[in-house]
This record gives sequence, structure tokens and C-alpha cells, in this order.
Amino acid sequence: MAEGTMTLKVARYRPEHREKPYFDEFDVPYREDMVILDALNYIKDEMDGSVTYRWSCRMGVCGSCGMMVNYRPRLTCSTFLREFYPKPVVVQPLENFPVIRDLVVDLTSFMDKLRQVKPWIIRENEAALESGEYLQTPDQVEKYKQFSMCINCMLCYAACPVVAKDPEFLGPAVIALAHRYNLDSRDQGRGERHRAIAVDWGIWDCTFIGECSVACPKDVDPAVAIQREKVAKTTDTMLSMVLPFGGQE
Amino acid sequence: MTPDGRRRYPVYVPQPSRTWWLKSGPYRRFAAREITSMFAAIVSGLLLAFLFALSSGPGSYQDFLRLLETPGMAAFSAVILAALLYHTATWFRLTTHIVVIRLGQRAVPRSALLAALLGAWIAVSAAVAYFHIWF
Repeated sequence: MAEGTMTLKVARYRPEHREKPYFDEFDVPYREDMVILDALNYIKDEMDGSVTYRWSCRMGVCGSCGMMVNYRPRLTCSTFLREFYPKPVVVQPLENFPVIRDLVVDLTSFMDKLRQVKPWIIRENEAALESGEYLQTPDQVEKYKQFSMCINCMLCYAACPVVAKDPEFLGPAVIALAHRYNLDSRDQGRGERHRAIAVDWGIWDCTFIGECSVACPKDVDPAVAIQREKVAKTTDTMLSMVLPFGGQE
Repeated sequence: MTPDGRRRYPVYVPQPSRTWWLKSGPYRRFAAREITSMFAAIVSGLLLAFLFALSSGPGSYQDFLRLLETPGMAAFSAVILAALLYHTATWFRLTTHIVVIRLGQRAVPRSALLAALLGAWIAVSAAVAYFHIWF
């Protein structure tokens, strides 16, 4: 097992000390089985307790520890130091978000966008409790399962140049989640959700660069979700124009 | 956040770079795909000019054909062809990500869909070339 030290260049933003972000360098002990988050925890525990970042599960599930690692959005709990050893690693906060402190970004705008697309099952008429669950076949689950794997880690927002250019853009994860519910056989809120996402700052803002899907650690493929919502919305609009009782416009 | 939507804490808002599209290979390929779409508009313009020349009489039509045969226009046509080939091929590749065609319970694989699109493209182009050359 290779041993030694490795340099982490960690972005710092401490507005009470300096107006703009800067870098601090830390030499941490290197082990092959260490991930970037282990190195950050070492820095915080042993070298500088003021380094600030988010993390929770340490197993790629909670989506808290997303950061820019060597200028690419990555989950730091599943990015190994050995990928970069012996070269230094640059760790920065996720791009396209306001930075609150060091590696912590402000997710307020994302939370607002998330509420807008109503990511829950919408029913026109809720069935009586006694009638039991809304049942689904395995095939019906399979249709939306991929898009339900999102952990809201925000890597897709950091990878998206449209988010950088237009902070109002609803963004990949939010639209993918809307797509997930639109595909759910139990849901009846597709029209309602289309009113939220088929707007200039929604699906039509996406130019299909596709980097959100590359960055996604859960293979959700939000780029495809957005394009399929474009097709679904266009189909609904066309059907509403030709069918006597309208489509789901 | 305060009730009027202002943050209670200072934040640093990084400014997006104007040259973001040069930053990585995928961004550069995206920019190339978008820029090559302009050549489709140029072809449409040339076709309109062709129709205009045709409707203006035999003299204008011959002048237009002579213009197309100049070395500069021939070279430009080659550039247009290359750009449109790139744009079409990349667009077909993206299309296979979006379109889901189901045969029974199974979705048609993306590679088969891409092969069908490219095959149809080549067949239509060959048919157009055949009629153009022989009729």
C-alpha cells in the first residue's frame, strides 16, 4: 500500500476575514483507501478546525458532501485520493451556487424550485383509505425508478452551464423529479406540473449539453428527463388542439 | 432569510465565465453542435437564392450556377457539408437518448435506434442523389 502525504488545496471563504475566497494548502497522510472526505475530516480534526463543509452518511446516499474536486463536481465520500495521487487535489465549493462559508453553498434557491414542481403524488380525487394502497405492477415501477434515485446532491447544478448563466433555471434535478412523478401510474398531476416546468426558465431553458447526466453519481440521467418532458409537453399541447375534450394541457 | 427575501448572512456569488464553453471537451462538443446548426440556416438561404435566381430568368439562373462553381463557393460548400454531417450525426445520437420505442415489454436498444436513423438518412440521401443524377 502506498504511503506518504498528499496536498489538498482547499478553497476558503470567511467573509469576516477576507472579502473574496482564497486557498489554504494542507499536507495530509495518504492511504490508498482514503476518500477526499476522509482527508477533509483529517484536516478538521488534526490541522484546522475552522474548515467548514457538509457531510453526513459517508456512503453516497445522503448527497451532502458534493464539492468540486479538481474542477469537477463529485461526491467527496466516493472520490478516492488514489485517483489523483501524488499530485495535489483542489477542493472547492460546488459551482453555480452562492458560497456561505468555505465549502458550504447556499441551497435556498434550490429548495424554492423543488417546491414549485410539486414532487409528490397528486390525485384528482383521493380514494377512500379503506380501499387500500394504489397498486403498481413491476413494469409501472420500472418506468420511473431510474428518475427516483436522485439524492439531491446538486452535482448536476454545478455541472450545468445554463444554471451558471440563468440562476432562475429550475435545473436538472428538479425537472428530473417532476418527470419521475409524471411517469408514476398513481399520479394525476402531469398537467399541473407542466404548468410549473414548461416555462422559459424550465424545460425550454435547457440546451441539452448533457453534463448533468455525466456528473450524476446515481445514473438518474436528468438531461434525458428534461428532453422527454419537452416531448411530453409538446405532445400534450398538440393533442389538446385536436382532441374534442383536450389533452392534459 | 428575512421576510422580504434577503439573506441574513453574507455570501460570495462567483461570476460565470464568458469562455465556459472552452473549459472541457463535452462543452466544446456542445458548442460545435450548436454552431454547426447555423450552416443549416445558410443552406436554406442558398436554396432561397437559388429559387429567386430561377424565377428571374435563364440569365440569372446561369449566373447563380457559375457562382456556385467558383473555387471559393466550392470550398465553402465542402465546409457546409462537413458541418451538416457533424450536426446531423450528433443530433441523431442525442435523439436516441430521448426517444423510447417499446416492442412489447422491451425498449428498442439505443444502438439499434441510431442504426435505423443513420440507415434512413443514408437511404434518403442516396435516393435524392439518384434522382438528381439520372433525371
